[in-house]
Formats: sequence, structure tokens, C-alpha cells
Amino acid sequence: MSTFDTVGVLGLGLMGRGIAQVIAQSGLAVTVLEVDRDRLDTGVRAIGEFLAEGVRRGKVTESERAATLERITGTTDPADLKPVDLVIEAVVENPEVKRDLLGKIAAVVRDDAVVATNTSALSVTDLAASVPNPGRVAGLHFFNPAPLMPVVEVIAAVQTEPGVVDRLAAFVGEIGKTSVRAKDRPGFLVNRLLMPYLNDVIAELDAELATAEDIDVALKLGLGYRMGPLELLDLIGLDTHEHATSSAYRATLDSQFAPPPLLRQMVAAGYLGRKSGRGFRFGTHTAQETAR
Amino acid sequence: MTETPTTTGRASRASADPVQRVAVLGAGTMGSGIAVVSARAGWPTTIYDIDADNVTRGLDTARRFLDKSGRLGKLTTEQVERATANLSGTTTLPDLAGSDVVIEAVFEDLELKKSLLGRLDDVLAPEALIHTNTSTLSVTGIASGSRHPERVVGTHYCNPAPMMDLVEVATGPRTSPEALARTQDFLARAGKTAVRTKDRPGFIVNRFLIPWENNCIRALEAGAGTVESIDAAVTGALGHPMGPFALLDIVGLDIHHQVASRLYEQSRDPRFAPPPLVERMIAAGDLGRKTGRGFYTYGDTTLFGS
Repeated sequence: MSTFDTVGVLGLGLMGRGIAQVIAQSGLAVTVLEVDRDRLDTGVRAIGEFLAEGVRRGKVTESERAATLERITGTTDPADLKPVDLVIEAVVENPEVKRDLLGKIAAVVRDDAVVATNTSALSVTDLAASVPNPGRVAGLHFFNPAPLMPVVEVIAAVQTEPGVVDRLAAFVGEIGKTSVRAKDRPGFLVNRLLMPYLNDVIAELDAELATAEDIDVALKLGLGYRMGPLELLDLIGLDTHEHATSSAYRATLDSQFAPPPLLRQMVAAGYLGRKSGRGFRFGTHTAQETAR
Repeated sequence: MTETPTTTGRASRASADPVQRVAVLGAGTMGSGIAVVSARAGWPTTIYDIDADNVTRGLDTARRFLDKSGRLGKLTTEQVERATANLSGTTTLPDLAGSDVVIEAVFEDLELKKSLLGRLDDVLAPEALIHTNTSTLSVTGIASGSRHPERVVGTHYCNPAPMMDLVEVATGPRTSPEALARTQDFLARAGKTAVRTKDRPGFIVNRFLIPWENNCIRALEAGAGTVESIDAAVTGALGHPMGPFALLDIVGLDIHHQVASRLYEQSRDPRFAPPPLVERMIAAGDLGRKTGRGFYTYGDTTLFGS
């Protein structure tokens, strides 16, 4: 018996896709909502490709792949989410868009359906305030890529009823992940720790402590990190990090979250990391080893 | 060992090695580990310590490490024998007269290190290189003890030195480009990966590790998570091989406090200052694995017993 039998996922971007896939792979039916058919098709196709790659690597069987895709139903009509027990919102990190959508969905689903947001940079409490019965709203923060990352943060807003958080934590276990409870503070737990470290690295790079490559090499070899901080920033996207750390700074006025000037300049120049072809390491002449 | 010579390491092995003899000052964990690195790379290596018992202990540690490498199949019997034969010890500084590279790895005390470098000047050939394995002191400050600061280079090895590839190379304002280039060549021949950094508190690794760990401790103090949940979040979401609290227990809370305090004194940056919880734990005697209790409780302290 699972905690939630049917789940709705709002948005089939990078995170929504991964979340829908993880849940469908665990055996639950997932209804995914997008604004138009094109986006739905693109998202479902990407899930299919991810699973097909898993089959090629021997991580997923052919029948698991097919069954997972069968459990995913796409729709562009919010009314189709009526029967779900849990909704996970994973649309663009824009408070107006999220509030508007959550309001619409809350009007459709049952009063006791749990409404979770996968926001990483916004306050769950703020979002809950726009939903009728905010006691059923909580944060459920997956990491990218969701199918591969083992941890999910479960965040209680000020309004969240305790039982909701317990049920979400149980659900996270049922879909094969480890739940970590976090407070509704900027960055929750992981990003609260990660952002100051990344900002620190950017500031020291700017202060010419060492080259970007040597900083990455030192931290990988010295501490056994899988990725150096500057490679990681290129992967996350410099604009994404700037947005997250700026909003944490605005919410806390804690200088360790303040975006370093070099970060702002890189973003202004359009050097956003892998996605734009150039970042701190990616696309620079010393980055052959990472530019695979 | 875990190390694989880098491409540059292999290439330079083919050319004539300017280094004939190496000396390591200090027979502690780092000194004996660095002696293994040097002896294994083929250089006759002398461990110096003021205390004869320390010299004996340091040589024993180095030999045991080499023997174990042989048993584990990391080195051939012949390699173990050759490396072991390269090791010698002394309590007499003038015995180091013929050394081409001297690696200082004594206690982290600026005056001690400076005075040792001054005495080395009287013994060594003027062109001999002096490396300092300081982790928390200024290379510039240590180099000021020598009348030839241009030949002093910071080479910060990671513990355990024979198994960790990384060496942070820090130059002071007086360090000559030749000394730097010869140091990089030496480290490549020793199979190490050298990164260059400025002579600033913590170099690269501790510069970022100490504020990171302090931040994790502050998050714990602030109730942002538990020891277990923060470790799980960091290993699970960031892929670190170990969570901050498991790592702090291995390092030792006393050592963390010492390193963090030294970096704080130099930088005046509060992010380096050890959070109050660290001092409380030290006061309670909860230093980590070595005392059986730190952030976690351990049943067995023998592995890390001190």
C-alpha cells in the first residue's frame, strides 16, 4: 500500500520529467500537465530516451521501460488532475506563474490532496499562502537529474500540517529515495550549504588565488569530490546559480549569499556554462578534459 | 599506490634527474609519508628529527607502509626493497649536506620552522631547494628564516601523503621562478599532481574546506538538520565521498579547531572562526573517532587511536 496512489506532476521541463519518471518507475500512475501538446510530446519523448539509454546500459529492462511509459499520461487540461492524491509542481521558478498555477490546481483536486512544490529558490510558505487549505502544501525538492540523485528534501512551510510532511517522507522512501527534512529557509538544506561555497570559489577565482582548473583539480583530488566547484557551476548554469543565490541574499541579507561580481559579469556576457557553450571551465581552452 | 604518473611525469622521467638526494625534516605522520613518496620515486631519502626515537618511529612507519604496499600488490618485492634501501635517518643536521631537495615537515610552529631553515642555510649547497609542507602558516613567513628565500617553495601534501596525488604548490614573493620550475619537475617525477596557488591562508583546499565545514556546523547549531540528515544530504545530493560530520570526526575536532583558528587569525574572516559547538565538544572530550565520540559515537577507537 503506497502513501499516494496517483500523482500529478505540473510541468515537464528538466525537473518535471525526471520526477515523473522516478514516480512512474516506482509503479505509480502519473498524470503530467503541460501548457500545450508540443511540450508534452517533447517531455515524454525525453523520458523515453532516458529510459532507452538505461536499457542500453543494462540499468533498466525493456519491459520496465515500456511499463514506465505506460504509467505516464499527458494532459493539457488541469481538470484531468481531479483524481490525484498528490500534486508535485515543477514549473518555471517564477513566483507569479507558480502561485497562479497552484491556485488553479487547488480548485480542481480534492481538499485532502497534498500539494507539493519542487521549488528550489522560492519560499514554500509564500507559495502555500496562495493556496486554499495551505496546511496541505509542502516542499518536495528533487535534485537534478532526479532519476539518479538519491536524496529528496521535504520542506514544511509555516502552514504545513505535520502529517503532510510525514506522508511525503514516506512517499520519498517508497519511490526509492532518501528523504531529508529541511526548514523553509533560503536554499533549504543542501543549497544553503552549497551556495556560499560556490560564491566563495568564484570570489577567490576573481582574486586570482589559482586558475579555475587548479581549483577544481585541488578540490577533486584533495577532498574526493566528484566535480570541482567551477565544473559544477558550468553544469548548474551560472544564471541559475545567480538567481538562486540572489534570492537567498534578498531573503536573508546574509553576505555569504551575495552574488560575487564576477558571477554577474559572466551572466551579463552570456557565459552561462554548458548550456551556452562557455562558462568558467566549459568552452575555455584548458577545459578539454571536461568538454566531452 | 593509487597514484598513476601523469603524462608530464613520464616524459620528464626520461630526461636526466637533477635530484640525487632528498631529506625530510620531521618524522611525524606527514614527514614519514613524504619520505615514502620520495624513496619510492627512487631518491635516497634521509629523515631528520631532533629526537632519535622519533627518527626510529618515522622510519618504521615508512617501512611498514612500503611492506604493506608490497603485500597488497601495489609494489613489486623489488620495488619495496629498493625503496626501503633508499631510507635512512639522522638526528644530525649536517648529515643533510648533500641533499638537493629538503622537505620541511616539522610541527606547525613558525619560529621553529624559521630557525630550522636558517640552520639549513649553513649546511646545504646554495642551489639546494627547500620545500615547506606547512598547511596553515605563511610560506613567506617561513622563507624569511632562510638567507635564500628565493629557494623556498611551499609544497602542501595531503594526508596520507603516499596515497594522495595532490600537492599544493605555493610561492612567496621572493620565490624564484627557477625554484618553482624545479619544484614542479620534482613533484612530477614523484608522481604527484601539482596545483599552483598563492601564499594565502589555507591555500586552495583548506581555504574552501574550513568555511564549508564551519557552515555545516553552524547549520547544525541552527537546527537546519541533524548530524545524520546533513551528512545524508551532502553525500546524496552533492556526491561528496563523506558528509561533513563523518569527515570532522576523522580529522578530529581539536585539529579542526586548530586549523580553523590559525586561518581565522590570518584572514580575520569570521567564516574561518570555529563555531562555539566545536569548543563545547572539545571541552567535553568529544574529539571524534580517536576518543570514541564526536558527532557520532564509535564502538572501536583502535583504528584511529592516538
